[in-house]
Amino acid sequence: MKFGGTSVATAERWQTIGKLAASRRAEGVRVLVVVSALAGVTDALKALSAEMDGGKRKHAAAAIAERHHALAIDMGIELPARVAERLESLAHLAADGPAAGQELAWQAQVQAHGELLSSAMGAAFLSAQHLPTTWVDSRDCLKAVALPNQNERTRLLSAMVEATPDAALQARLAGQGEVFIAQGFIARDDAERTVLLGRGGSDTSAAYFGALLKAARVEIWTDVAGMFSANPRQVPGARLLKRLDYLEAQEIASTGAKVLHPRCLSPLREPRVPLLIKDTNRPELDGTEIGPHLREAVTSVKAISTRKGITLVSMESVGMWQQVGFLSDVFNQFTKHGLSVDLIGSAETNVTVSLDPTENLLDSDAVAALAADLAKVCRVKVIAPCAAVTLVGRGMRSMLHELSSVLAEFGQLRVHLISQSSNNLNLTFVVDEDVVDELLPRLHELLLRSGSLRSDDDVQFGPTWQALYGRGEAQMVPGWWRGERQRLMNLAAERSPRYVYHLPTILERARSLKTLDAVDQCYYAVKANTHPQILKALAAEGLGLESVSPGELQAIDQAVPADTPRLFTPNFARREDYVTALATSASVTLDALHPIEQWGEVFAGHAIMLRVDLGRGLGHHEKVRTGGSSSKFGLPIEHLGRFIECAERHNVRIKGLHAHLGSGILDAAHWGEVYGQLAALADRIGSVEILNIGGGLGVPSHPGEQPLDMIELNRVLSEVKATYPQYKLWMEPGRYLVAESGVLLSRVTQLKAKGEVRYLGTDAGMHNLIRPALYDAWHEIVNLSRLDDAGTTLYQVVGPICESGDVLGNDRRLPETHEGDVMLIAQAGAYGAVMASHYNLRDAADEIVIE
Amino acid sequence: MTALTDPRDAQVFHFVRHSYANGVAELVYAFDGGPELIERIRFPDAPALPAERQAAFEAALRLLHLVAGVSYYKAGATTQIQVDDGEPDTATAELLDALYQHGLAEFGYRNGLEMHERVRFPRHEETIDAAPALGLPQRTLVPIGGGKDSLVAVESLKRIGAEATAVWVGNSPLIAACAERTGLPRLNIGRELSPLLFELNRLGAYNGHIPVTAVNSAILAVAAVLYGFDSITFANERSASAATLEYEGRQVNHQWSKGFTFEHTLHHYLHQRVAADLHYCSLLRPYSELAITRAFARLGNDYGDVFSSCNRNFRILGPRPADRWCGQCPKCHFVFLALAPFMPKPRLLSIFGRNLLDDETQAAGFDALMEYEDHKPFECVGEGAEARAAMATLAQRPEWAEDALVKRFARDIAPQLSGQNLDLAPWLQASPHHLVPPRLVAALDIVGGE
Repeated sequence: MKFGGTSVATAERWQTIGKLAASRRAEGVRVLVVVSALAGVTDALKALSAEMDGGKRKHAAAAIAERHHALAIDMGIELPARVAERLESLAHLAADGPAAGQELAWQAQVQAHGELLSSAMGAAFLSAQHLPTTWVDSRDCLKAVALPNQNERTRLLSAMVEATPDAALQARLAGQGEVFIAQGFIARDDAERTVLLGRGGSDTSAAYFGALLKAARVEIWTDVAGMFSANPRQVPGARLLKRLDYLEAQEIASTGAKVLHPRCLSPLREPRVPLLIKDTNRPELDGTEIGPHLREAVTSVKAISTRKGITLVSMESVGMWQQVGFLSDVFNQFTKHGLSVDLIGSAETNVTVSLDPTENLLDSDAVAALAADLAKVCRVKVIAPCAAVTLVGRGMRSMLHELSSVLAEFGQLRVHLISQSSNNLNLTFVVDEDVVDELLPRLHELLLRSGSLRSDDDVQFGPTWQALYGRGEAQMVPGWWRGERQRLMNLAAERSPRYVYHLPTILERARSLKTLDAVDQCYYAVKANTHPQILKALAAEGLGLESVSPGELQAIDQAVPADTPRLFTPNFARREDYVTALATSASVTLDALHPIEQWGEVFAGHAIMLRVDLGRGLGHHEKVRTGGSSSKFGLPIEHLGRFIECAERHNVRIKGLHAHLGSGILDAAHWGEVYGQLAALADRIGSVEILNIGGGLGVPSHPGEQPLDMIELNRVLSEVKATYPQYKLWMEPGRYLVAESGVLLSRVTQLKAKGEVRYLGTDAGMHNLIRPALYDAWHEIVNLSRLDDAGTTLYQVVGPICESGDVLGNDRRLPETHEGDVMLIAQAGAYGAVMASHYNLRDAADEIVIE
Repeated sequence: MTALTDPRDAQVFHFVRHSYANGVAELVYAFDGGPELIERIRFPDAPALPAERQAAFEAALRLLHLVAGVSYYKAGATTQIQVDDGEPDTATAELLDALYQHGLAEFGYRNGLEMHERVRFPRHEETIDAAPALGLPQRTLVPIGGGKDSLVAVESLKRIGAEATAVWVGNSPLIAACAERTGLPRLNIGRELSPLLFELNRLGAYNGHIPVTAVNSAILAVAAVLYGFDSITFANERSASAATLEYEGRQVNHQWSKGFTFEHTLHHYLHQRVAADLHYCSLLRPYSELAITRAFARLGNDYGDVFSSCNRNFRILGPRPADRWCGQCPKCHFVFLALAPFMPKPRLLSIFGRNLLDDETQAAGFDALMEYEDHKPFECVGEGAEARAAMATLAQRPEWAEDALVKRFARDIAPQLSGQNLDLAPWLQASPHHLVPPRLVAALDIVGGE
């Protein structure tokens, strides 16, 4: 069991160590505790050993002694004799300073005191707590080996130990007791000198001991439960990784995760000793177990990580790469300029390598000098700033087909280099750095959705970081329909398929929008659901209504009072449509040059809104992204000047700017960006009073997705508003208001087994709900007739339409299902009934609103 | 009170009155007999005004009223102007005529208005005694804009040990962050435009670019007298004096109030009419954009993650480069190109978060900078020849030469420039023209240093 610096700094924390060690002892095994120095002491010793002034060194040693005296008082014990001895020897070392030529050895000796002291404190304290603990000098157990590529400095301060199971040591310790405590970070070399293990030293010591003693397991106790499927700071929905094999864990540790130093895994591999990462503060949580595990593994991507600040050097030369020595000459140039190469990609005429960010890279002209030298022998191109995105999982090559949605995401980006190691553990894409902050959460989500990260497999994956350490799994609010089961069963018995909308849920969403006090007016985008009762209810809540066609304008007129604010935002609409809309009270939005250039007179004397394309698109699927040049929406910024000229010519006033980047966005910062960019543009137009930042407020659909944080969104918007108070702020949410209110009820028609695949047919299909087929949208599907039964079978849930794409849900774990069972498809309130068709001449589902 | 009407139909623009009390200056304007348009300037923690500075303060405040009126005047661009609280003397009227005619030239071009025919301030002959020296404290107001130029000015003042205060007008998190990073004392002056101006816009007011540097300069002149500073050092560079295009035979300069002519006029006006020891100048005037980007590469190391010269993302602060640099506007293009010859490539790319010169979709933007097949954009950017010299330099650098737009320059554009001098060196020479007071001249050398 290994404990770090903060875990050994107070008596209270030592009590935790005592409890944990005693609980392991109670399992009938012998326990060896490996500890770091008290938090801060290693740094203090480092500073001491770099200090030239003997007086200051003595002063520093005295301060360290004081820390340990204070801890002894905190522990309620006498200062142990072994600690007193060590403090005395430290005082001597500090006073004397290094002998000539012995600086490094002296430094190692000084720094070793931190662990020697903390372990001696611990041995005394644990023994006093009725857990007799034997103090072991790690240097008597861990023997450093000299390696050919080491110099004196690395031999002394960054040593390696060859740790193979040592029966003699096992027997020696077995004769000495049941509970032991030893030092991390230190070892002894052939010349009987004290040496240090360098970075990640204490974890590595624990691993060495685990291997030497062929331990049942090594436990690393730290401040987090283990490794996660992505950096939780960027992806709060990242899952705890419960089981990894050594190489996977090493790969994840090397490409991003900070919880474990990658170096400490290799000693354990050969003797097959498992390593467990645990949270000291919450020992009840599962941790990450790293072991051999190969046989039982289900193929899955385990983690995704990113590293930023990468510079690529691409070298092009025809036919030179095969010449003997050419490649080595080229690589010598990198050595010469002090740059170290990480990834390599090669082709017949090109070799591209990546450089990790270092001070040398950023602040000197190393790259310029390297490029100058390389340019003598090949064409060289420096590509930066880049980021490496790495997927880790055993058997990556066999998962490529499942990664299609992930690969499609990369298809929209500039991918500079792809690297796939021969050990088949990783797949790395090097892309432009500016995309990764948004990319990482999206890729994590796509990995979950595509089933290539098998979060449903609870052997491999634990809870989300959010659930463990965040503000809780807010997503897990049960759908309203769970409380209305009987009513829904009755409705389904009358007729199916049918849509049911829950009005209280819509009103709740409308009220949560009102908490955005930075927003002056919200418009409900009626295309999501045009049911008249819903329009009435939202208008009564003070929302305006946004429409995209004369038909929608008419539906609004029929449903709501004349004074409800209206907005008309069509795309590639006919000239007549604008004429119609201008005759109403609606604000009309233009999103292209064509109308104002070709039919400017139509708009003469009117004030219009202008939808611009800020050049970027976001959203949960390519087809719902509405920004960027591959999207048909919005006026490109470069046409703004021409638009303004036309508007002036026809006496058309641009009263507002609008941008809408996509749908299903769950990141609050995004609207702040849109808002800020629109405001800066508006400042340059002059006549603008209103900024409409669109909708796209995401609705979490998957387990593990975080709902949009409305408080954070309001904070972001308010910040921009303080800078641009002169503009009114509009938003136009659609799906956000109605998605969760609606369910689609259907009944099971037939069941079928084909090979290993089980099909569950329902009378609802893609003619009723096309989102799964059109957007790969994920809707929760439950068997309402058997709601309380456990899911036992994986079903493909399909509809009756003669189309192979008529699939409502893939691989859904459901109870054994029978003909006539009522199936409920959740979150169907938006873009459900409104997108229905009569394909196959099947009837539409009817729609019912319940209070 | 009468209702607001379309100011384009108005006959007369009135400078109604101005006042100051408790740290707030009120500047009042109106079209014809319409509602009063009231602008307020807030001077935080304003000290009591010493009696000996009273006259200077009134002169500066009066100038501010007349200069800041440009934001309102332009809504109607009337052919008649009246100053209700007393006609200016000839010298003041001439300053204002020049400011309104040249400073609104681009506005006029955009709106099809001939400003030289419209603007004529009323005036009367009067002999006014030269203002005395007030013994203002030897300290400097240095305006911060959030971009590289003002940061170069700040760093050069810091390096000569001059006492300076970072000052900015208006609410901007980005500028506030830059100001904080300077480590200097800070002064944030508030400016509230009349809300009725937005109503006028709705009624169809003319709109466009105004000479905002002139307004800020007048605000700082008032601040200098109020708080006690003997100098105001802007960071306007040499190329700000160049015209951006010609219209009806006249030069149109997008940034006229950043030019040397205006600096010269205001410099002497303040000496003559406000205080003989209040010095208005630009610390960067002798230098080209390239000399300044070189100085920034050397002096601006601390600001990489806070500054932005981008006009689109200009006032929003965010942790990522894309929050500060849109990467698509002429300012982003120019600053990127002009810093490239002087900064290690990885560092420049880490500031912008991307490589604009390796993005083929940006070709048109860089062409405009180089005045290649297009004229110069209406933005505060350097001269076309500077952009060409920077690009030509990069074409010689192996770490840049293969980037898409540098390669394109070498292949398609450079051959058409034969005979032109594309060296950087001439751009790094200082010109002798500046109005920097002797106390601060050493800062000029810091800017121009190797």
